[in-house]
Amino acid sequence: MLSNFLSNYRSVAVLAFVVLTIALVEFFGVRASVYPSLLPFFEWLKYSSWIGYLGITYGSVYATIQAVHLISMALIGGTILVADLRLLGVLLKDIPSETITKGTHQCFKYSLSVAIATGIFCAAGVADKVYYMPVFWIKMLALFAGSCFIFFIKLPLLNSRPHNEVDPWMLRMLAVASISIWFTVAATGRWIGFS
Amino acid sequence: MINELLLQFAQYLEAQEYSQMLVSGYYSWNWLEATHVLTLMISIGSLFIIDFRMLGWVLPGVSATTIADRLHKPMIIGFVIMFITGILLVYAKPVENVQSFWFRLKMILLVLAFINAWVFNSRMRAAEGAWDSALVAPKPLRTGAIISLCLWCGVVAMGRFIPYDWVDCPKVSNTALLWASGCVEQLNAL
Repeated sequence: MLSNFLSNYRSVAVLAFVVLTIALVEFFGVRASVYPSLLPFFEWLKYSSWIGYLGITYGSVYATIQAVHLISMALIGGTILVADLRLLGVLLKDIPSETITKGTHQCFKYSLSVAIATGIFCAAGVADKVYYMPVFWIKMLALFAGSCFIFFIKLPLLNSRPHNEVDPWMLRMLAVASISIWFTVAATGRWIGFS
Repeated sequence: MINELLLQFAQYLEAQEYSQMLVSGYYSWNWLEATHVLTLMISIGSLFIIDFRMLGWVLPGVSATTIADRLHKPMIIGFVIMFITGILLVYAKPVENVQSFWFRLKMILLVLAFINAWVFNSRMRAAEGAWDSALVAPKPLRTGAIISLCLWCGVVAMGRFIPYDWVDCPKVSNTALLWASGCVEQLNAL
């Protein structure tokens, strides 16, 4: 029975496990004890790694990578909005939502990869500052939650059956949750610049 | 002459109470800038999806003109918000922007991007037909899409460069660059 349950709800079970682990880690104070030990890594990232060196030494390179980061975030926003507004029945209503979901996912994956790669570079240049910023950690958490949500919940559910067999409210909730999470990622990213 | 006029106009704007209110209010400036940047996801995001469809990179199973038509509205909404917030951002720091090389380059790229969008739209309307459901659009439209992508990437990059001071007036000695940046005081001192 358990194996049957796990085969049907593998992604949900993995996610539940991850959430439970995070809750336990927080409950037993592991995060609070791990946090100080991350500082040397952030200092190494800024002062000893080649990406940190590039970012500190060449301001123009840093700014260009920031621009690429912004463009990839814009593209993430574009794919998320098109796919989720279709699920909400706001955009492209005459085109099956399965087509839109599948047609935009590849672009989303590439944009996310570019955003993460350029984001690491951007963070490396100011690693000793972002380490102390709560908004940076909120962004990381939102990014992790957003990626898990897309790859472990939203897509497996949307790919598992025709969308007209899924409860319409479930589709709407998926879309609203997705837009909210990625908006949080973008907004907290922008707020890092003001902190 | 044009630089002097622009600077005088910028100084007139900067002396206004509302301009000073926008820049001195911590949250007003941050909210404006954050809204301007976040709206990229709606405007540039939609625009890139349209351009990518023309190139056959996304939604290959959906007609290209359908994508362009349906994403037109959110894209325009995004651009309107960006323009309003952009104008307010310039209004808050007019002298700094008028004398910024990157801001001027951004404005030129913006004009070119809009000319390209107009040409692209006209070509798309004229070319309606059998290609619509093809994987990629005809060559003129693909060229327009690539030019659009390059110009808008340039606009975003120039916008990102504005806060940096590499070519700010006090740091520049090249006469052509001083003129291009509108550094009236430095040019008069030469």
